[in-house]
This record gives sequence, C-alpha cells and structure tokens, in this order.
Amino acid sequence: MTAQPGPLRPAPKVAGRILDAQLHLLDRQVLDHDGVPVTTVDDLELAGPAVDDAIEPGTPAPVLSALLTGPVLGTRVFGGRPPSSRLIRIPWKDVAEVGVVVRLGVSGESLDAGWVERWVRDKIIARIPGGRHDPR
Amino acid sequence: MILGDLLGNTVQDADGGWLGRVADVRFALDGTAHQLMAEPRLLGLVISPHSAASFLGYERNGLTRPWLLARMLRWRHRGAFLVLWEDIAVVGAGSVRLRPGYTRYSTALQDAAEA
Repeated sequence: MTAQPGPLRPAPKVAGRILDAQLHLLDRQVLDHDGVPVTTVDDLELAGPAVDDAIEPGTPAPVLSALLTGPVLGTRVFGGRPPSSRLIRIPWKDVAEVGVVVRLGVSGESLDAGWVERWVRDKIIARIPGGRHDPR
Repeated sequence: MILGDLLGNTVQDADGGWLGRVADVRFALDGTAHQLMAEPRLLGLVISPHSAASFLGYERNGLTRPWLLARMLRWRHRGAFLVLWEDIAVVGAGSVRLRPGYTRYSTALQDAAEA
C-alpha cells in the first residue's frame, strides 16, 4: 500500500478535457440538434475489459461508448438496474457538446430514446380534436 | 461494462485492505476522434473512504460558497483520492482491487487546480 501523508500530488495533465461521470454526465438532460429534449442520461456504457477479468499492465483503458437511458425509476428507488438489453443506447459519436446539458448532433426523431413520446404524440394526442396542429 | 455497476463498489489495495468506495469515474476526452467529440477514455477512479458517492463535487473544485455547504461537503468527502487506470488490477462485481504500489492523486479538476 502507498500511504502518502500530506497533500496529494496533482494528477498528471492530459491533453483533452476532463469529464467526471457523476459531476458532468449522469442525470443531465439530453437535447437534440434542434434543442428539443430527448431524454436524460441514466447510465453510461464502457467498452473495455470484462468484469472480474484481471487487467494486465498496459491494457488500454475502457472508453465511453454510449449514453444509456431507459426505465430506471423503480431501480433508482429500490436499487439494482434493469437488464442491459432493456436500456436504450445513444452512441457517443452522436454527442456534440457536454455542458449544463448534453447536446446531440443528430435529430431526436431518429433515436429510440424518444419512442414513447413519439408514440403518445402519434397515437393519442393526434386523435384529440385540434391535436394535429400548434395551439393558437 | 455498465458504469452504474462500478459506482459505489468497494475498493481494496493489493493486500485486501479496505480503501473506500468508487465515488466517481473520471474520463479524459483524448480517445479516438469522431466527427463531433473525441472518445472519452477512462482516466481513473475517484475513491472516497467516507462516502459511497459524490455530491456536487465541492472536494474537486475551488468553490467555497455557500460557505456552510462547502465546508460540510468537503468534510463529507475528506480523504478522497484519484487512482489512475494503470493502477487498477481487477474490476470485479462489487469490488475493485488496486495494484501494489498504486499512487494516490488529488481529485482536483485541472481547471480548479490552475485557479
């Protein structure tokens, strides 16, 4: 063990921006390229060594491959998480900016993350008289 | 691997000694460049000996207001440190084990350290 008394040394500098998962990503609202809310970031998926595998020295670090969203209200309250297959993935390559919100570079209409809202709009709201146009 | 499975896991040193819990995971945007943003590479784990999670990040930035909240949260997360990916030996289900001779780094974010 390396017990180091006194103040800790600063972490080595890296070229890119630093993002802490809880501070900068988790629970942030996700907007599409038109500023329309899509979902929130419920979890993150990493591509890298499998759980319980010994990590050999020199193994490349895992990379963040996707933002995850899905039916997590129950598991947030009672613990655990839904099966991986139930989570909806937004690939990191679609992320354009991380700030107060996470902005995507694509339209939310093409993402699975917004299917419930689209279904409610098309199957329920559209059948209500006046539900097919903007309010005036 | 899903990040939620890693957060809150217990962290042990190479001898099995208890060090704390994974309070956060730090990424560096210096991976493969995509059209919009570079791929975030896992830089290390923020380990907290007194709390299972981090809240608001007062221990990682230079903010001191509101004073009482900053003092309380800094105290709550006292002793937190960063270990780099190179010092991680095994990420198991529920626990993380570090390599012998791992190094503890400050959790301060670069912007805060330069301020």
